[in-house]
Amino acid sequence: MEVLNKLYEMTAFGAIGDDPMTLVMLALALFLLYLGIGKRFEPLLLVPIAFGVLLANFPGGNMAVTPSTDIIEHMTIIEIAKEYGIMNMLYYMLIKTGLLPPLIFMGVGAMTDFGPMLRNLKLAFFGAAAQIGIFTVLISAVALGFSLKEAAALGIIGGADGPTAIYTAIKLAPHLLGPIAIAAYSYMALVPVIIPLVVKFTVTEKELKINMKEQDKLYPSKIKIKDINRTKIIFPIVLCAIVSILVPSSVPLVGMLLFGNLIKEIGSDTNRLMVAASDTIMNAATIFLGLTVGATMTAATFLDKTTLLIILGGFIAFAISIFGGIMAVKVHNLFSKKKINPLIGATGLSAVPMASRVANDIALKYDSKNHLLQYAMSSNISGVIGSAVAAGVLISFLS
Amino acid sequence: MDPNSSDIGDALVLLGVGMITVFLILALVVISGSILVRIVNKYAPEPVKKLKRASRSASGTAPEVIAAIAAVVETVTGGHGKVESIKKIEH
Repeated sequence: MEVLNKLYEMTAFGAIGDDPMTLVMLALALFLLYLGIGKRFEPLLLVPIAFGVLLANFPGGNMAVTPSTDIIEHMTIIEIAKEYGIMNMLYYMLIKTGLLPPLIFMGVGAMTDFGPMLRNLKLAFFGAAAQIGIFTVLISAVALGFSLKEAAALGIIGGADGPTAIYTAIKLAPHLLGPIAIAAYSYMALVPVIIPLVVKFTVTEKELKINMKEQDKLYPSKIKIKDINRTKIIFPIVLCAIVSILVPSSVPLVGMLLFGNLIKEIGSDTNRLMVAASDTIMNAATIFLGLTVGATMTAATFLDKTTLLIILGGFIAFAISIFGGIMAVKVHNLFSKKKINPLIGATGLSAVPMASRVANDIALKYDSKNHLLQYAMSSNISGVIGSAVAAGVLISFLS
Repeated sequence: MDPNSSDIGDALVLLGVGMITVFLILALVVISGSILVRIVNKYAPEPVKKLKRASRSASGTAPEVIAAIAAVVETVTGGHGKVESIKKIEH
């Protein structure tokens, strides 16, 4: 009998029975795995996050992230690994330090082409308008009783940029990291649903039929780029200098994005660096980011009213950002002869390139010749910069 | 969680400062991008490539066929292979 008791204690059955809420978290992990694998919702990140939730919530595995305390803050990485397990070691080494989001941004930069933005520079403004969701939800969240730091971390979901949302949460409200990451990536995966929904209620059929190429023919650009390759090499250096001087707190994100882009644009001389940034480092960073963020989500930290408010607030922030971009285009069209399709504004939030592809598909439904992908990419890429700058402003004011 | 009026005031300030900063940065992106394009156009325009009429090489193979074969060889050999001559094998 004693042997059976010891065997029972060795397994996790007893611990699961002691805390039934663990079962809810395990069910949530399985649901997220279903979304990632079955529904293909951002599988590259949702699958590691979901598996991190699974690992963290099996009692006795010592894989759940322990919330930061003074004692942990003063321990070495080796001491943390010995005392709290390897997941905590990874969390405090890679996440708490804010290392992984900039590394992912470097990879994103190495896969981003600034060409569409340089060819349609004016459209970059709509990437600014689409950040309005971040700040309006910040105000609403404060009104609901969130602290300023928590509200800012929640609002940044409206930027539709996973690494930016995670980076801001790490800096301002690390205890909300799990739900914020889940909300950010879930809504990014739902871009093909959310953009058409907002467009349906805010844009007329006539506006959706505005053909960007025809507008370009009617009102051609005054400047033609003669050497796009050289321009694309110098551009990230110039942009990095501007952002570094004006919003230094956004440099870890924007600076790494632009470095990644530079090594891509230089070409064959730095090809190995580009491959490392966009492939090896990016993939490794994504795995560790997903697993450790997932491991922060235990029943004690995740199952409360705050999580529900974050999920709801994140959706509203997302929708307002899309609405803001669309409205900015509508205002522009009131005063300009050269009309712009409001879908360009809808792509002002990040979520590159999915938002652009969705906008392109909507435009093609109304006019089979209206390929606006290249135009949408301009505001889409500027949205990445815009949300990183917004995050920089929030961090520098609140941390 | 009770809302604090001073926090709401701070949030409104953040709305103003944040949106102005984002617009300012992206305005500078637009302006610096335009200036950069003008400078590159003026001082380092891309050399105009002269288009040659497609002609057959000494071996009688069309240039586009040679380019296709060279591209395949480069891909298959990982950049180590080089096309020196092309011979048609009779069956």
